[in-house]
Formats: sequence, structure tokens, C-alpha cells
Amino acid sequence: MSLQKLMEEHIKSLREFANTFFKNKFGVIGVAILSVFIFMAIFAPQISPYNPMDVKSIGVGKPFSPPAWIKIFNKDIPDDSVFGIMGTDELGRDIFSQIIYGSRISLIVGFAASFTAVFIGTIIGLIAGYYGGIIDEVLMRFADILLIIPGLPLMIVLAAILGPSIRNIILVIGITSWPSIARIIRSQVLTVKEMKFVEFARAAGCGDNYIIFKHILPNVMPLVYVNAAINIANAILIEAGLSFLGLGDPNNISWGMMLFFAEQYQALLRLAWWYIFPPGICILLVVLSFIFIGHALDEILNPRLRLRR
Amino acid sequence: MSEFRGYIVRRTIYAMITLFLTITINFFIFRVMPGDPVSIMVSERILKPAVVEEVRAMFGLNLPLWQQYILYIRNLLIGYLGYSFHWKEPVINVIMERMPNTILLMGVSTIFSVIIGIVLGILAAWKRGTKIDVTILTSSLTFYSLPVFWIGMMLLMLFGYYLGMFPIAGTMSRPPPEGFFERILDILHHMTLPAITLTLISYGEYTLLMRGTLLDVLTQDYIVTARAKGLPERRVLVRHAMRNALLPTVTAVAISLGFIVSGATLTETVFSWNGVGRLIYDAMMMRDYPVLQGAFLIISISVILANYVADIVYGILDPRIRYGGQGA
Repeated sequence: MSLQKLMEEHIKSLREFANTFFKNKFGVIGVAILSVFIFMAIFAPQISPYNPMDVKSIGVGKPFSPPAWIKIFNKDIPDDSVFGIMGTDELGRDIFSQIIYGSRISLIVGFAASFTAVFIGTIIGLIAGYYGGIIDEVLMRFADILLIIPGLPLMIVLAAILGPSIRNIILVIGITSWPSIARIIRSQVLTVKEMKFVEFARAAGCGDNYIIFKHILPNVMPLVYVNAAINIANAILIEAGLSFLGLGDPNNISWGMMLFFAEQYQALLRLAWWYIFPPGICILLVVLSFIFIGHALDEILNPRLRLRR
Repeated sequence: MSEFRGYIVRRTIYAMITLFLTITINFFIFRVMPGDPVSIMVSERILKPAVVEEVRAMFGLNLPLWQQYILYIRNLLIGYLGYSFHWKEPVINVIMERMPNTILLMGVSTIFSVIIGIVLGILAAWKRGTKIDVTILTSSLTFYSLPVFWIGMMLLMLFGYYLGMFPIAGTMSRPPPEGFFERILDILHHMTLPAITLTLISYGEYTLLMRGTLLDVLTQDYIVTARAKGLPERRVLVRHAMRNALLPTVTAVAISLGFIVSGATLTETVFSWNGVGRLIYDAMMMRDYPVLQGAFLIISISVILANYVADIVYGILDPRIRYGGQGA
């Protein structure tokens, strides 16, 4: 088959996939929400009206100013006590700009940590499932132990030791969340391994590596995609949690860290809802978009589910 | 019956091996960490260098690693978990002081989330494809996608600070109220918001699991047969489908019971709930490794135990498992 023909085949199957995907309501909503946040992350410097770290001295707002639009409900508030569309934080910094820049951290950590976890998990699942025996036993016992040690406390310990930086947060989430993926991939490999075409490939003299990557991997890929989407959602939630505990990268403001500072500076006591509301809603929307995409992929790629309809 | 005994023996051996490996890894994790607690005391000029060696020797930190490991195992066998550098108490006391708070909070919220989760899951599967199903599905996914600490903060701001209906921090009033019933009411009052928070984020998992397995079961041949026999839909659902669909949920509940003792670090932080989850965080910030090691050990044991019980229960409920050789 010529290269051009191969490409055409590929594009055709992609188009077919896209057609099915965009018929799924959850998938469409997920992609729509995610696109907004990806746009925000890429064009953060262009969209945000202020530098998210600029304090009052360089002309931003008073500390803890509510957003300007509350004057619609209460005309008595003086003009210099309100600020922007989301108000200001404890140092008078613009919350709207922080929210926009925060999308970068969530998405970077989500994608990178999930990529790490899915990569390790898939490789280990493939090896354990394909070779079986003692290799399988050792790898799966190791995965079990990581699943038994409580997740968040383990990540707190690792994050505190490695020190606060985005790279370390990605590492910590990545190396602690591969076991569940490895387990899922392994059980799928066990099923695929028994299929006739694998037997034929072996009879034809194909090597183990060839069989694993050419015959088994393509058949577990749908599962990998679904798990990657769900994993990104979890990674974003974990990043928010670690940052909320003060283990985030102090040089890069993230949504979890905003909530950390909000709690430290008693935003709850001051009833500074404009400070607390936006980060939580943004985390919800981004996480939900990945869950929806995962749900849609699951319905399309997992034929067993289609029977249920 | 002998197959079942064989199954139990296999599961027991497996649990023992896992326990041993977990203890070993738990030991080494905390030895490869940079800066043992004594060197932190030195850097903070709490101790003179001459005293340091003495303290190291006291905690056995000057021995070779393998001797420390033997010492650690021997201490575990006599139930000694070590001594807390920060709290200046045996580790077991530090942990046990906070354990009741955590078990109470986690236990209550687990019970509520399991009940709500199962009921909504059955309802969603029964009314699949309808508005009710979509509403249940969407709300479960939404609560699952919210950061737990944020739900806590919102509830705390609204019901604690703004409306003043619930206390804003702690597990009990200070000083505690007189009388037994007043005291229980006081604890329940403090527990309401954190328990609601935890229930909201965890019920969705059970809903999705219950809905998923029930829908799986409903496509099985025996359900088709039951329907073909003309049995009423409700009877098919209750007598034929639900009994089988409950299996995975029972296992999930059993496994989650193991994590009850690990507490909920984020929720406990928001509500200043004096539990094990918060203790782990504080111990890490103080570099109090013995406490961390002790907490990880107790949690691991209870998780292994819960998994073991789940395996046994599964074996009893589903006969196919115990004849299945590996039984995995």
C-alpha cells in the first residue's frame, strides 16, 4: 500500500471517529468546555487585563475588593472599593488575571502527569499481561502495594521531600497513579492474548516485541484513551489538593493555590465569595470536561457498552 | 467445600505476603528520605552537635540499615511503633488519640454515601435514558469533579460564617458541654458540615458503579429469559438483577472501609478536624517520620485486612470465584 493511500485510510477513519464522537452529547460538551480553557491558557498574557502578581502599589486594586458589578445591587459602595470582574485578593491583585493564568498550571500538570502515569501503566500492564508468570506476579504485587498505601498522604510526603515545583508535582502524581491503569491494561491484555490472530502471529514466527506492539497494543489503545481522559481529571484534582495544602509551586499561581491563600488570609471570615467561587468553578469545569470526554470515548470505543442502549 | 478452604488459604497467604512487602517498603521509604529528624533539630539549633550522636544512638539511627530494619521488625512484633520527635509521646498514642475522630467522621459519611449511591444508582438504571437518569448521572459526575476542600469551604462560608448555623472549626466545643447527651449533640453539630462534604464527593462513585453493573446484568441472558417468561419488570429487577448487581458494590464498600482509618486530609484541614488525615500532613511538615511511618503502617494493615475480607465475602457470594483457580 502506498504511503498516500495509508494516509487517506487514516484520515478517513479519523473522520469516521470524529463523526461518531460529535454525535455524543457528553463528548461535545466536554470538548467545548475544554477548548475555552485551552484558549485561555495559550493566550493568557493577551487576555488577562493585569499581571496576576501585580499588587496595589503598581496600580491594581485595594485588598479584598469585591467585583465592580456588585454596584448593580448596592449603589452605596464607593468606586475605589470595587475592582474588575472578579475583585481582588489579600494583596489587591486581580483575581480574574490569576484565574486565567491558573488554567495553564491545571492543564500542564493534568496532561503531563497523566501522560507519565498512562505511559508507565501501559508498559507495565503490557509486560505483566503478555509474559505472565513470575514477571506478572512481581509487577502486580508492586502495583498492589502502591494501591494499598493511601494515595494523597503518599503524595504529600513525596511532594514535601522533592520540594515545590511544577515538575515535581507532575512526577509525584505520575509515579503514584500508574498502578490502577496497569491493572486495567493487564486484564485486557490477558483477553487479547488468547485471540486467534495472536496465535497466528506467533505461529508465523513473529517476535514478542512485534506481537506486543503491533497486535496487542492496538487492541488495548481504546482503553488507554479512556483511562487517559479520566486520569487527567484526577491529576487536575490532585494538583489542586496539593496546592491547597501549600505544596504547590509558589512562582506559578494555580487555582488550588489561590484557595490556599484565600484560606490563609481568612477570606472565609471576610465572606470574600468572589475570591473562593471562581477557582472552584474553574476546577469543576475543566475536570468535568475530561470526565465527559472519557465517558464519550468509553461509549464509542467500548462496544460492550453500546449493547446497553 | 474443600475448594473454598483452598481459596481461603490462598487468600490468606497472599494477604500475609502483601503485608510483609508493605512493611518493608514502608520502612525503606522513610530511611531514604533526605535529612533524618535529628539533623533537622541540628539545623534549627535545637541540639548541640555533641548531643546529636547521643540522640542518634538513642533512636538507633547510627546502626547499619539492615540492623535498623531488623530492629524495626522486632519492635513491630512487640507492638512498638516508635517515639514521636515532635509530640514527645509514643507514636501509637499520637495516632490513637486522633483515630476515634477519624473513624467517626469517615464511618458516618461512608454509610451515607453508600446508601445514597446505591439508591440513586438503581433508580438511574431502572429509568435509563430518561430525564431522571440523566439528572442523576450528571449530578454524580459533577460532585465527583469538585475539589472536596472547595465544597468544604463553600459550606463553611455559607452555613458557618454567614448563617452561623454550624461551628467553624474543631471536633468539640471548648470547654466541652456538661452531660453525656449534650456532649454527643455537640460532636454531631461539629461533624455535620464535614460529613456532608465527604458524602457529596463520594456518593457518585457508588451510583456510577451500581448503575453500570445493573445495566450490565440487565443485558444478560437470564434476565432476557425472566422477561420472556412474562415476569413483571419490578420482579425482574429486584429478584433477578439486583442480587447479582450488588456484588461489585459490596466489594467496593468493603475495600473503602479499609481507607476509613486514613481519614481525609483535605476535609480535615478545612474544618480543623483533629483526625489522622490532618496528623499525616502535620507530621510531614514537622518531618516527624516515626509518626508518618506508624500512620502509614496502620492504614496499610487495615486496607489489606479490608481487601482480604472483601475477597472472602466475594468468594461466599459468588461461587464461580472459588472454583476459578487463581481466583483473581
